[in-house]
Amino acid sequence: MIDSALIEEAKKMLVAQDKDRVEEIAKKVIGDGQDPLELMNNAFIPGINEVGDLFGRGQLFLPELMQAADAMKVATDIINDALAAKGDGAQESGASVVVATVKGDVHDIGKCIVVSLMKANGFTVHDLGRDVDIDTILEKAVEVNADVIGTSALLTTTMNQQKTLEEALKSAGLKDRFRTVVGGAPVTPRWAARIGADAYAEDAHDGVVKIREMMAQK
Amino acid sequence: MTKILTRYGDGSAVELTESELMEDLIAGTEDAAERGNIPAMTQDEMDHLADIFKCTHRVVGVDPGYECVLSYDGAPIKMLRTNVTSDRITALQIYEKLMGADTLEMGFVDYSYKPIKPILTFEEPLMEQALLTTTAPIMYGAQPNLGRYSQPDGPFPNPAELMPMGKIKEAQESYELAVDEAVKDMVDVASSMYESGVDCILLDTVGAAGDADALAGLRTAEILREKYPDIGIEMGMAGEFVLGMHGALEYEGVRLAGLYNHQMLELAQKAGVNIFGTVMNTSTTESTPWNLARAVTFTKACSDIADIPIHANIGMGVGGVTVHDHTPIDVTSRASKALVELCNLDGL
Repeated sequence: MIDSALIEEAKKMLVAQDKDRVEEIAKKVIGDGQDPLELMNNAFIPGINEVGDLFGRGQLFLPELMQAADAMKVATDIINDALAAKGDGAQESGASVVVATVKGDVHDIGKCIVVSLMKANGFTVHDLGRDVDIDTILEKAVEVNADVIGTSALLTTTMNQQKTLEEALKSAGLKDRFRTVVGGAPVTPRWAARIGADAYAEDAHDGVVKIREMMAQK
Repeated sequence: MTKILTRYGDGSAVELTESELMEDLIAGTEDAAERGNIPAMTQDEMDHLADIFKCTHRVVGVDPGYECVLSYDGAPIKMLRTNVTSDRITALQIYEKLMGADTLEMGFVDYSYKPIKPILTFEEPLMEQALLTTTAPIMYGAQPNLGRYSQPDGPFPNPAELMPMGKIKEAQESYELAVDEAVKDMVDVASSMYESGVDCILLDTVGAAGDADALAGLRTAEILREKYPDIGIEMGMAGEFVLGMHGALEYEGVRLAGLYNHQMLELAQKAGVNIFGTVMNTSTTESTPWNLARAVTFTKACSDIADIPIHANIGMGVGGVTVHDHTPIDVTSRASKALVELCNLDGL
């Protein structure tokens, strides 16, 4: 168990966008032989969620959000490297996931959190970035023989791309080959059901849970 | 037990019991009160809102005495968008003579001030003809749309590219340069249209590109008020609070990032705005009672302190209405009735 004061400090430093201290804490935890996943799940993920919440309430602004995301990336890289060195990883879940923010949508902070948590939980993640067209998603999924395709949409005007993806999968005869999970601020479980997606993820943690469930059923 | 048929914010139908309805109303108003640091609805107000939802009529309307000004947003553009073939003046005539509009809005298809500047010589005679063939007051509306001023659409470096590279100071400087250019364009366009006879300039969707966008709107209003003391200026918001894309910009010593509608209203009044258009966002995952209680709470915080008329935006994804291209009449009419009766609105 990591000292609760250190967990609290790690979370606080992430919210305060103190990249140097975040990096220091991550390295210390790993250097002390403690569980990097515990640090990720109990400090950095709640911290970045708090940053998102403050941004959503108009109490924290884009420059701070970007700096917090930068600190989060540093933390995630350190933790992922540590997990890889330990030998934890894809074999834990066996899931290969292609992730993208859909075409027309340039928002990827939330998607990056999802990617971070998936990697931290041992998934093999192919992050295609933002503003990605359907053909590119399908090509990548076929190329890497993905288990799951995860798409994010922040806008009501772009969430329709998730429906287009489901239609494209059906047209290409690939619907049974890949499971799909959808997320993003305007996306709901009802939307997922309506378009024929296999799952809806409310947040990054829920995404990991849903993919684990899918893999268990496979 | 009687169930109340309503919808989620994404439009899906849902049935609620009376106690579930009241739970959602309480949760919605408390969410707004906590976020905006404003009073929650009183029990009487929530009971009135509950009655509006419990009414089994598909369409509801305001009680006598609550009638208010009705305007249509982006009017001539939206007529064309529905595939009704009409030129812009005909569209305004349809809104006025067939659809009961009390004010009209002329606008260009791009709906941003910047691209209107080079075509002003086409917009001016059109506005003059519109004024000659209609009776209601006409506004000329467009957005500050600061996105038009950064690359690839404008001259300044793109803050959305600079920020992820950690170039925060450079991104902020780019926003500041964009504000100056946008103000020049908006003042030029508004001046031309006002001198062509328009009754009111609508600075619409102010803050859509964040705090710099809001600053451009406020500065424009201030300049126009000084230049034309009798000009009508409406400012419509883009969301329930101003996003802090720059984060440090101020107007009259007040930081704009994070300001909710009632706080922006105070600055808009100082800048010389004389109609304020409120916007409250709809959550797709919550019910319409939750969303509408929230919208009423935020809007009431504006009408309680306003010295100028408040015209609330009620439409796709705002004002408690579901996220639909063609909004359902059961929700739209309930949102209209609730906001007008509980917030003493001057217009929709």
